[in-house]
Amino acid sequence: MKILTAMKKPIAAISGFGVWAATAQAQITPGGIGMQPANSALAEEVHWFHNIILMPVITIISLFVLALLIWIAIRYNSKANPTPRKFSHNTLIEIIWTGVPILILLAIALPSFELLYKEDVTPDGQQVVAAGDGQTVDFVFANNFPESRMVRRPGHLQVIVDDGAERRVLKHRADYSVDGFGEADLVVSMTNPPPAGERVIIRGGRSVDHRGDVTLAPTMTIKASGYQWGWTYSYPDFGDFEFVSNMLPKDQTTPELYLREVDNRIVVPVGETIRVTTTARDVIHAWALPAFAVKIDAVPGRINETWFNADREGVYYGQCSEICGIKHSFMPIAVEVVSRPAFEAWIDSQRALAGLEPMFDAETVQLAQGSAGAVAE
Amino acid sequence: MADTHAASGHDDHADHTPSFFVRWFFSTNHKDIGTLYLIFAIVAGVLGGAMSGLIRMELADPGVTFLTNFTGGNVEAAYNFYNVLITYHGLMMIFFMVMPALIGGFGNWFVPIMIGAPDMAFPRMNNISFWLYVASGILITASLFAPGYGSNLGFGGSWVLYPPLSSNTGSPGPAMDLLILSLHLAGASSILGAINFITTIFNMRAPGMTLHKMPLFAWSVLVTAFLLVLSLPVLAGAITMLLTDRNFGTSFFDAAGGGDPLLFQHLFWFFGHPEVYILILPAFGVISHIVSTFSKKPIFGYLGMAYAMVAIGFVGFIVWAHHMYTVGLTVNMKAYFVAATMVIAVPTGIKIFSWIATMWGGSIEFRTPMIWAIGFIFLFTVGGVTGVVLANAGVDHYMHDTYYVVAHFHYTMSLGAVWGIFAAWYYWFPKMTGKMYREWLGNLHFLFMFVGVNMVFFPQHFLGLQGMPRRYIDYPEAFAYWNKISTIGYEITAFGVLVFAACMFDAFFIYRKKAAANPWGEGATTLEWTLPSPPPFHQFNELPRFDKGDAKAF
Repeated sequence: MKILTAMKKPIAAISGFGVWAATAQAQITPGGIGMQPANSALAEEVHWFHNIILMPVITIISLFVLALLIWIAIRYNSKANPTPRKFSHNTLIEIIWTGVPILILLAIALPSFELLYKEDVTPDGQQVVAAGDGQTVDFVFANNFPESRMVRRPGHLQVIVDDGAERRVLKHRADYSVDGFGEADLVVSMTNPPPAGERVIIRGGRSVDHRGDVTLAPTMTIKASGYQWGWTYSYPDFGDFEFVSNMLPKDQTTPELYLREVDNRIVVPVGETIRVTTTARDVIHAWALPAFAVKIDAVPGRINETWFNADREGVYYGQCSEICGIKHSFMPIAVEVVSRPAFEAWIDSQRALAGLEPMFDAETVQLAQGSAGAVAE
Repeated sequence: MADTHAASGHDDHADHTPSFFVRWFFSTNHKDIGTLYLIFAIVAGVLGGAMSGLIRMELADPGVTFLTNFTGGNVEAAYNFYNVLITYHGLMMIFFMVMPALIGGFGNWFVPIMIGAPDMAFPRMNNISFWLYVASGILITASLFAPGYGSNLGFGGSWVLYPPLSSNTGSPGPAMDLLILSLHLAGASSILGAINFITTIFNMRAPGMTLHKMPLFAWSVLVTAFLLVLSLPVLAGAITMLLTDRNFGTSFFDAAGGGDPLLFQHLFWFFGHPEVYILILPAFGVISHIVSTFSKKPIFGYLGMAYAMVAIGFVGFIVWAHHMYTVGLTVNMKAYFVAATMVIAVPTGIKIFSWIATMWGGSIEFRTPMIWAIGFIFLFTVGGVTGVVLANAGVDHYMHDTYYVVAHFHYTMSLGAVWGIFAAWYYWFPKMTGKMYREWLGNLHFLFMFVGVNMVFFPQHFLGLQGMPRRYIDYPEAFAYWNKISTIGYEITAFGVLVFAACMFDAFFIYRKKAAANPWGEGATTLEWTLPSPPPFHQFNELPRFDKGDAKAF
């Protein structure tokens, strides 16, 4: 699997899902034939798996079958070959065309399972942040995961230094060494003590994306509840205010965004893991967001969970993806990804609408605690 | 070769047919019942095809502009009408077109003949199987005109019938109840038919025809019959629970009463996935015969072909939840269904390559049925490989309920099973009617259908990759281009169907060329070609024998 991960990085870069592509309108290319631009590491991996593994494999198989059929039509038509041969068995070739597909399927299955588990296991990465003082070289990371999710090898750990201007990911062995893999406390020993004013960020966990970055546990949850025909959203971590999100009628939006734009978008911070739980009030709906390769049914009486972690700011659209009655086509999903400060300002404005005190007016961040990404900065 | 000179074309008594009414309404003759099934399938196919035409016309351009013509300008009624169209298009094509055509029609016609039997084991049960189908067809038509949601007519929750959309919450009107009863009858009919086929194939094979000497079409119908017997009761149970949820206050699928909507999905797909193999397996059988006949070669890897179908049938029962990757299954369960689903590609690959190997080294005559069979092999390959893509839950989270899925299953069903039906029709038409058709009309039909149907469904892969959800009456402008192409493809396909109608009209009323007992030459070795065209009312008064030497029936 290591080789696969190593292969993916350049491939994701060449598959053309560049950083600047994702304006709202560009999500669907008129006449386009590929997937919508990815806006998360996970979606990039889905693209990689489809565009680099599956698509070429199925294209080659289809063309191979087509080529054989054409060859047969040319070589073995009744004019070219008036006397048919009479064989009806060939054990070797039968073993080959049973065995080779099995090998191809195995080659598909390995990355497939890796991707599936990345998608379906909500990230649980943790981080500690410490200030450098020019002397300390040892930093402790509490490896308090369940047994199966513990940090066990260098790949599960990321050490980043931030001097305020830029962030630098350190290299294992060259820049730091680690003691205590698989044990309760992990000690990261830096080769050079970080100077004062520099912050050391240690991220650990098994939820490592294809770029090698540890994805942190969700910082917040959005509850999405489908109804005929729209969505209500609430933010339980920020006072559980709730709002309704309905499609904008044709005369209130642009022709490009009609059927995708809503009156009240969900707003989420960029670069943080967002947990989405879905349920429904009447019939089954499905909450879908192609730019993040996310789709999860909203089923009455059940709560389903998924997550995403946006790379870039912008507005991203999805549409209800389980038939739910006559206006199934008219209950889109719109997510606005903004910076952390803009998100906090939005939260306070929503809290004000709900008659709640502001949460972020003080200098210190009062985020719901227990969520690793929400580190006091 | 089998000793089949006893085929009783010379026996006057054998062609003593009953009067019209007794012959066609009380029919116990497998060939007549087969003909009735085929007529039924043609009627349903025309209706289902017309429905898809309305769907494509509506989707030709963004905006709800076409179906409002049928609802007096009422937009909400048009939304409902669209959902009703997609629902009944699916049900019509699956239950009332492909199944009656391949199993009831060609199965009834040719399974007894191919195994050297005078008729089906239970001729009168065969009769009631057909007339239950008619009753079922009447009920589904009634359901189309009964109120479903509010004052809107018909049930619009798609053929999968998921509650709560199909329960009182989503569709309180009687349309859904009528639909449930219709499916009960269709299911009962198919179960009876399947029992009939199993009994016939196990007990009435000609002397000496062991299972391993039996023609592959009979094998395919045998496997299909087992799938029907094992899967349809589960559907019947599920829709009965739905019926009692709707009418008698139970709450099997109602979360508010302690039930679970997903229970229905599990039960439905435990039936629904074998169902797609029920649709395609008989086509596999037909294609094997056509490929062998026109290559003038025996079927390559006969045992592999037979047991590949058995394997597909078996594995088909343990992959159902790949239709449910987004409902909230646990990740380990999804991983299992990914693995199990991909396994199906192996026996399917064996079939594809064995067909190719059957042609390899042959002396191929490109008659109309062969052209359809080759088209089938390629199109089914395309549909099959996109199935491998969708089997991967990690990607299916993106593709699920998009047009990619629509493209996938239409390549396997509409371009697979239906291609098999047309191939079988052109292959056995001379046998069934005693008439030939003009080759060039059959070829022209193929040409228009091939171009048209590919134009309909290939662009839908692109729409799916771009994220266009299924079952949408209206879509963002950015999806317009490929939808337009798709609709133009439909028009070409519809023209192809007209060519088919012309070809048939010509064959019956203008061309009127009599077919020989074996119009296809030395490659056609199964028993039906030893009988005159059309076969006598009763065949095999003296049974053909396969117990002398190692003669095979294929």
